Amino acid sequence: MKRNELLLVAVLAAVVIGATAVLPPGVGAQSERGIPVEYTATADDLDSVTGNGWEEVQSVTVPLSSAGADVPSADDVTIEQMRAQAVRTDSRLYLRISWADPTRDTSEASVREFADGAAVQLPTDGDQQPPIAMGSRESPVNVWYWSGSGETEELFAGGPGTTTQFQQTTVATEHTYADGRWQVLFTRQLAPDEPNRTTVPSAADEETSVAFAVWNGSNMEVAGQKSASQWHRVAIGPAPPAYERVLWAVAGVAIVITTLVTIQGIRHTGGDGS
Amino acid sequence: MSTSDGGETIDIADDVDHQVAMVMDLNKCIGCQTCTIACKTNWTDGGGREYMYWNNVETKPGAGYPRDWEELGGGWDEEGDERTPGDLPAQEDYGAPWDFNHEQIMYEGSDEPLRPMDNAADWSPNWDEDEGAGEYPNSYYFYLPRICNHCTHPSCVEACPRSALYKREEDGIVLVDQDRCRGYRYCVEGCPYKKVYYNAMKKTSEKCIFCYPRIEGEGPDGEVRAPACAEDCPPQLRLVGYLDDEEGPIHKLVNEYEVAVRLHPEYRTEPNVYYIPPFAPPQHAADGETTDEDRIPREYLEELFGPAVNDALETIEREREKVNRGEDSEVMEMLTTTDTSDQYRLEVFDEA
Ligand code: SF4
Ligand code: SF4
Repeated sequence: MKRNELLLVAVLAAVVIGATAVLPPGVGAQSERGIPVEYTATADDLDSVTGNGWEEVQSVTVPLSSAGADVPSADDVTIEQMRAQAVRTDSRLYLRISWADPTRDTSEASVREFADGAAVQLPTDGDQQPPIAMGSRESPVNVWYWSGSGETEELFAGGPGTTTQFQQTTVATEHTYADGRWQVLFTRQLAPDEPNRTTVPSAADEETSVAFAVWNGSNMEVAGQKSASQWHRVAIGPAPPAYERVLWAVAGVAIVITTLVTIQGIRHTGGDGS
Repeated sequence: MSTSDGGETIDIADDVDHQVAMVMDLNKCIGCQTCTIACKTNWTDGGGREYMYWNNVETKPGAGYPRDWEELGGGWDEEGDERTPGDLPAQEDYGAPWDFNHEQIMYEGSDEPLRPMDNAADWSPNWDEDEGAGEYPNSYYFYLPRICNHCTHPSCVEACPRSALYKREEDGIVLVDQDRCRGYRYCVEGCPYKKVYYNAMKKTSEKCIFCYPRIEGEGPDGEVRAPACAEDCPPQLRLVGYLDDEEGPIHKLVNEYEVAVRLHPEYRTEPNVYYIPPFAPPQHAADGETTDEDRIPREYLEELFGPAVNDALETIEREREKVNRGEDSEVMEMLTTTDTSDQYRLEVFDEA
């Protein structure tokens, strides 16, 4: 390679690196509707349900309606929508949901008392979309169940009536109730080291789905008598922008080098032939 | 399943080998609650079960336990295919702890005697004990001991979306699988007899287990024993065995002579606790003379036990007359024996 060719490589490389540096961070983000999961390097201001960081995170309204389960009064539900926000770091998912419920029900201390509740449902196997009502035997689901009594359970189900509790819980929750609204934060490792747990994707081209349900204890909502959502796509945000730019730069430099090597090769061949 | 070896047809559930059953002779119950306490000390003396009486004895006519349980619904529709969901009783209807004036006496220097706070004492189990109905001199009441009926067609089992309740294959005892139960309480609402109870400490439902460890020989002294409520009853008014044991008194009283009848058959759960209906002396006229009128109105007994109570009462009447004439009566023998080995067919449990 001659000196001017080396210079050309350097110039092209500089242009490529410069270009990736000004690429918008949103490049590669999914544009279809779903629950966006934004990336953040640190979650210091998001690991509490009232953390300041949540003000910056996009909030999606999720419509809810009766799950239509085969239990008495299944259609008698009271909560019609909720909001969801999600963020991930390299290793953890932070999911905050909130909904209006004018009655705060936290006790199950007697036979007619039911606590408020909320659940997040994920396919156990990320790229499947199981039947919305607790999955199926072939396509089971993970359910994170939070109760107004303060308990959190991590559940596994393969169809209605099959819910079983994992012995080890990998999900942590925190909640507040203010101005007639529950806010519940669920956090979990993206990929817990436990069997039958949903791995939350960490790259934009991987897919999974999520569904939600809430129960109003005052209305004696329990089990299948619940306000539930449809499946929503989990829209994984871009990989860390800095990391992405490095990748783009490396790819750009590689393209330039390949081009030059090819030109050089053709010249060589042409030289031999002349 | 129906067995028909002896010519009789004995209806038991399809998926069970045998069916436990009890016959209780209401004419002998003195309302002493020994059965209630026997059950309580065995099974429900703590851990969120304080309010539960798996065995209770209530005065009839009366509101019962939980209060007005007969109005709360549950059971099956007329065809017996669709469950008719009921209501959950209020905690106070089981009898909630009363507030007492401890605070005033202990800390505020009150001189009053210790007593429930105003309006606190307005209900408890047996609140209406011995009240009954009717006007002097024709007032009447009787005691009705109740346990889970370990029904052949149990609506509690059908009600559970998690199949946590089930009929034991070997003997048809209805149990709640404590690992499967998630405390949804559909069974509590679904049992028309309100014989499933919610344990708020464990957040699961619990119920009478027909003392299965005792009939399996896991009770005192490692011997096969009848349920505690039966064994501890001073007048020994309960017969215990399998409904499908054709040699036993239960089969004879229920299926052959039809003198033992079900409580509220119209709930269609097909209970396996059967009752010998109560007799009472006839009414008295104002002048003190005995009349022909039933003291316990027949309509009331029909309300409780269905139309079959009429034949049952007439048969018993006939059998009593036989005995009065000095003739033999197998029915009266079974109902008056004092030999517990005739009353409890424990050998059938041993064989199982
Ligand atoms: S009495 Fe009630 S709890 Fe017992 S088996 Fe029948 S329906 Fe179930
Ligand atoms: S122990 Fe016997 S007599 Fe006493 S209340 Fe119970 S069933 Fe009636």
